[in-house]
Amino acid sequence: MSSSDYSYDEQGQFFPFFILTVTGLVTLPLTYSLFRRSTDDDALAPRISSDYKTKHGDVVASLRKAQKRKQRKIKRAIFVVLGWALMAGMVYLIVVTQRIVPKIWNPYDILGIAESFTEKQIKSHYKRLSVKFHPDKVRPDPSKNETLEMLNDRYVELTKAYQALTDEDVRNNYIQYGHPDGKQSFSIGIALPQFIIAEGNGKYLILLYTGLMGILLPYLVGSWWYGTKRMSKEGVLMESANRLFRHYNEEIDEGGIITALSTGKEFEAVLKGDQAESGLSKIESRISAEGESSPFACGFSTKDKEKLEDLDSGVRRKVLALLWAYLGRVELDDPALTKAKFEVGAIARKLNQSFAAIALAFGNIGPIAGSFKANQHLIQAVSPKSSPLLQLPHINDKVAAAIEGDSKIHLTVQQFMDRPDAERRQLAVGKDLLTAEQYKEAISVGKQLPFFRVAKAFFKVTGEKVIIPSSLVTLVIKGRFIPPGTENIPAIDEVSLEDIDAAEDDMDAILGRKKKIVKGPDGKPVAVEENSALPPLTFAPHYARDHSPKWYAFLSDSKQDKMAVPPFTFDKFDQPIFTEDGKPTFNMVALKAQFAAPPQPGHYTFCMHVICDSYVGFDTKMEVTLVVEDASKAAEMEAEDEISEPEEDSIAGQMQALKGQPTGEAPKPKRKQDSSDEESGTDEEEDDASDTNTDTEDES
Amino acid sequence: MFDIDWKGLALPFAYLLVLGGALMTFSTIYRRRKIAESANLAPWFGPHLQRDIYLSLLHLDPEDGGEKSPKVPDGVLRAALLRRAVEDIERLIHIKTAKQACGSLLQRGSVGDDLWQRFLRAEKEMEEELRDVVTEANALAPNWGTIIFQSAHEIAANTKLRQRLDEIQAQTDAEKAWWDKKRGQIQADFMKELEESEKGSTKDGNEDDAVVVDSPKKGGKK
Repeated sequence: MSSSDYSYDEQGQFFPFFILTVTGLVTLPLTYSLFRRSTDDDALAPRISSDYKTKHGDVVASLRKAQKRKQRKIKRAIFVVLGWALMAGMVYLIVVTQRIVPKIWNPYDILGIAESFTEKQIKSHYKRLSVKFHPDKVRPDPSKNETLEMLNDRYVELTKAYQALTDEDVRNNYIQYGHPDGKQSFSIGIALPQFIIAEGNGKYLILLYTGLMGILLPYLVGSWWYGTKRMSKEGVLMESANRLFRHYNEEIDEGGIITALSTGKEFEAVLKGDQAESGLSKIESRISAEGESSPFACGFSTKDKEKLEDLDSGVRRKVLALLWAYLGRVELDDPALTKAKFEVGAIARKLNQSFAAIALAFGNIGPIAGSFKANQHLIQAVSPKSSPLLQLPHINDKVAAAIEGDSKIHLTVQQFMDRPDAERRQLAVGKDLLTAEQYKEAISVGKQLPFFRVAKAFFKVTGEKVIIPSSLVTLVIKGRFIPPGTENIPAIDEVSLEDIDAAEDDMDAILGRKKKIVKGPDGKPVAVEENSALPPLTFAPHYARDHSPKWYAFLSDSKQDKMAVPPFTFDKFDQPIFTEDGKPTFNMVALKAQFAAPPQPGHYTFCMHVICDSYVGFDTKMEVTLVVEDASKAAEMEAEDEISEPEEDSIAGQMQALKGQPTGEAPKPKRKQDSSDEESGTDEEEDDASDTNTDTEDES
Repeated sequence: MFDIDWKGLALPFAYLLVLGGALMTFSTIYRRRKIAESANLAPWFGPHLQRDIYLSLLHLDPEDGGEKSPKVPDGVLRAALLRRAVEDIERLIHIKTAKQACGSLLQRGSVGDDLWQRFLRAEKEMEEELRDVVTEANALAPNWGTIIFQSAHEIAANTKLRQRLDEIQAQTDAEKAWWDKKRGQIQADFMKELEESEKGSTKDGNEDDAVVVDSPKKGGKK
């Protein structure tokens, strides 16, 4: 305790604490992230109940399981286990090590008296002790191993203690520094064990440092850097993204997209070695055979077939053939090929996300719509030109053809399901077609699919009545999830179509907390938790992954075929879609997308697309008009709507004076604004429900 | 006299040596790799067939085949150059449309850096190519260089349109067959209905039907 040097932790009483803290800082968040997986959306989302199993259902299931295993974070788990082990070891060390508590100099203890002693008592006590312990009086006791020095020291200590309690100067020292001699030396300890600086350990330590700083650190930084460069933002290999970019062109159609997707580098890992070409001729002959309802079994066009045949044989050609086999649900009669077929389908969808990003960057509506459609088709394993009815269980090309008759345009699931049951049954059930049970199964799945039916779409600016140039506009899409074929759909409650702004004093809403205002059944605003309801997991028995459906809403300029407002994604909703037992709730759901209004006033007509990424034929396309008013006109209208003109001395009045409008001016004759179509509502809510446009027409 | 402890100094010197050596090796290997990579970048566009044809026509040496090979007529050369310009226009349009998208995708990290490198190189090559075509055109006919790309653009647009039309035309047979089948079916249905009800004239029904079926076919052929 006498030197002010740094001292290492010889007794090992501090460094376990240090290591425990550092390990804990890393291990605890890692543990949290490891176990958070159980709250994943895919695990929580409800399932569409069906006993339907495809012929290769077990293959698909095993692929899904393999994928989940891959996603399990094994490295992280090992790290966490090691971390906890280290922490446990440190705790053990802490418990075992005896702690040396530095003694605090206490004059009462030295004198052996209670703190309540008065000065007089202390004096007499000291006198007695000094008589007893004076070095002149006592002899060192050899049996106790005492020396003269020790006796001296003891006496000095006693005197110091006595002085600390009685002498003014010494007492001041004691109070100020905790010791009668004045300031004591102090030492700084380093919570590292002594052995790391011990003689002879130096070279190991240098080796350790070299390993950490010279090898491990560069390796970690390098692997992180090249890892980020290797994968694109969409989670596909950069090389694949580059190839997709090269294959993009403005006229690309869905078949072209499928062909482009086959360039992915990811496939090379699936079809390794001799798998690269084996069975290619078999697949090709199978997919080009004449189909039930189309010229080719896999449903591709002659153009797509030519594209396939133009390729050199190799991985890419096999991938493309397998992809078409997957989309056409062509039986390959070979376990290895079948497995590859499903795996290829799942990988292609992942690649398609990268393609979608590329198409969005170009902004042409054709390829964007094509990539959304390709996504649906890849998930449902339905060929681009075949019937959407194939999404229902047990329905194959033949049944779909029988249901559709020889119409050129395919029936969507909704159109089929909206027909009366007797008619449906007559078309679908029969010899070579569906049995009564299969029909029932198909219909029951059809009645569980979440079809989003748009009720109304409008633009608004929060808290304003009109939309002025360059303001932040919210596109509000109101709609209900109505599964195809639902009977007794309740009428739309007009109240639920309104969009209510949060009250100005509602800090939660302003700060974007997860609450949302919805009009309750009695017409009063009710706050509900926002975005908590998950749609059921996609019914896709052929798709080798679990997939939660997502909805995208975007605006396009129909005159130029260009994207106007990029897609907004919706995968959670403010109100539950289905009740616990799978019945639709018919809750009005609001999808909101914010974007900046055009800088010029005028009427802008957009084509609004609401697309579900998982089901074919569930898209909605409608015209919406955005009316942007001149800023001065908007101010005028505001003034008209004012119930009472603000007084000159009020803040509002001064504000208005600043804007250059005389207060108390007679209201101008009301001009009818056909564009601003105020919601009918109670008076106090008129300010809240401000929307500007409602002329939307459902096209689909 | 200073006593220099050479032994003790060996360690720091060795450290400096190792450090410098490691950095140098890294930089040379890294640079060599980068150069090799950029040299191996795949070209953005495939082989330029039209340019190759033009150049081989231009350099067709009369000495090679003796008197037998006549001089390439100017018209053929001009046509070849025009074809080359048409191909260039297509590539130019492609580059112009892709540039912005490629840049924004690169910024977002959706495509890789080497794609951008390839793109820049293609752009540079394209500039050279355009300049070359203009000088060639001026050499063949005075001032042709200023308008050759205009005509090439027209030709490219026309070809595209014609391709599209051909594609639509190619569907006629299938459409025709489908409509014929449909007509036959509707006719058969009518006959059945007529037989069942035994009312009205068969002829009228057929004529009406024919008109209905014909009109969309005409529309398709236009």
